[in-house]
Amino acid sequence: MQYLLSVIHDKLDLAPSDEMAAIDVFNDRLQADGHWVFAGGLGFPNTATVIDNRDGAAVVTDGPFVESKEYLAGFWIIEAPDLDVALKLAAEGSKACNRKVEVRPFL
Amino acid sequence: MFDNLPHEPLGAVDDDRLRLIFTCCHPALALQTRVALTLRMVGGLTVPEIARAFLVQESTMGQRITRAKAKIKAARIPYRVPSAEDLPGRVSSVLAVLYLIFNEGYLATGSGTDPVRSDLTAEAIRLTRLVRALMPDDGEVAGLLALMLLTEARRAARISASGELVTLDEQDRGTWDTALIAEGHRLVRERLASGMEPGPYQILAAINAVHTSARDIRDTDWSQVVALYDQLVTLDPSPIVALNRAIAVGELDGPEVALAAVDRLEHDLAGYHAYHATRAELLRRLGRSAESRVAYGQAIELAGNSAEAATLKRRRDQL
Repeated sequence: MQYLLSVIHDKLDLAPSDEMAAIDVFNDRLQADGHWVFAGGLGFPNTATVIDNRDGAAVVTDGPFVESKEYLAGFWIIEAPDLDVALKLAAEGSKACNRKVEVRPFL
Repeated sequence: MFDNLPHEPLGAVDDDRLRLIFTCCHPALALQTRVALTLRMVGGLTVPEIARAFLVQESTMGQRITRAKAKIKAARIPYRVPSAEDLPGRVSSVLAVLYLIFNEGYLATGSGTDPVRSDLTAEAIRLTRLVRALMPDDGEVAGLLALMLLTEARRAARISASGELVTLDEQDRGTWDTALIAEGHRLVRERLASGMEPGPYQILAAINAVHTSARDIRDTDWSQVVALYDQLVTLDPSPIVALNRAIAVGELDGPEVALAAVDRLEHDLAGYHAYHATRAELLRRLGRSAESRVAYGQAIELAGNSAEAATLKRRRDQL
C-alpha cells in the first residue's frame, strides 16, 4: 500500500541546512527499511503554471491552481502495510523537515 | 477480592471486540465520529438511535458513519489491537470515547429518549471491562471503570417516580447498588495502593468514592472532595472542572464563596445549563430569590435532559 506524505508549509523559505541533514537521515532510513518509493522538494507556488486542455484549446494560467497561505512544499511517496505505519513514518518525517505533513492513501 | 485472582484470558469474541474498538477509536478519525462508529460497530446501536442520542439528523449520522467506514478501508486503518509499545498512546482515545458513551447514557440528551439510558451505560461499562482485561495495570483504565461503576451504582436513585432527576443530596441512598460500590471502592483502593500519580479518571473515581462512602449527604467529607478537585484542576484546568470544584467549595465554605467562584466562569460557561443551575441553587440558598428564578429559567432553557428540566422547573416554582 502506498501513501502520499505531503509537506505543508506557510512561508516562502527553504529548509535550512540542519533540516536538510535531518531529512537526509530520514530518507536513508526509509530506503534501508524498504518504505522508500519517491520523494522530492517543490519550487514555490509562484513558479507554478496551470494548463486546461479539456476543450482542446489549451488555456495557460500563471500561478498555482489554488491560492492559499499554506502550500505543498514537497512530498514523499512511501510503501507501508497500513495507516499506523504510515502515520509513524509521517511523524518522523514531520520532525525531520520541521513542517506539517498530510498522509493520504493512493487508490 | 476478585482483583487478586489472575485475569481470565480473553475469548475469541472479546478479542474481536477489542480489535474493533481500537479501529473505531483510531486517532485518525474525528472524536464525534469515533463515538458514533463505536456505538454502531461495537455496541450494535442503529443509526437512528445514535442520531437521536447526539441530536443530529439521521441522514447526517448515516453519512458520518459511511464516510468513516470508507476512510478505514481506503486509508487502511488496521483492524488490530495496537502493539504493547503503542497501547498507552492509543488507549486514551478509547477511554475518551467510552466515557462519552457512558455520559450520554447517564444524562441522555435526546428529546424522545429516556432521561437515563441504561443500555448505553451498560455497554460503556462492558467495553471498559474488556479494555481493563487487556491492560490490567493501567491506572486510568481502572480509574474510568471505577468512575463508571460508582456512578452507575446510583442510577436507580437518579430518577424519581414522577420522572424528575434527583440530585445527589436528595437521593435515597438505600437504593444504591452496594455490589457496584464495593467493586468501585476496591478499584480506587488498588490505585491508591499503587502509589502512582493518578490521572483525571482516577481522581474523579476517588471523588465518587467519597460520595458513595457517605451514608447521608451531611456525612460527606467535603474537605476531601475539595482537595481532590484541587488536584484535578492542576491536571485539567477546564472551566467545567472549576464549576464542580466551586459546588464542593459551597458545601465547605458556604454559598457566598462558591457563588463568587462560579461567577468568574460566566465567560466560558454562559451556554452551559449546569452553570446556570448551579448559580440558581447558590442564589436560592443566599435568599436572592428573584436572581435565582432568572438563573433557573436560563438553566431550563439550556437543559437537554427532560428529567433535569423537570427538576429545575419544580425548584424554580418553589421559590
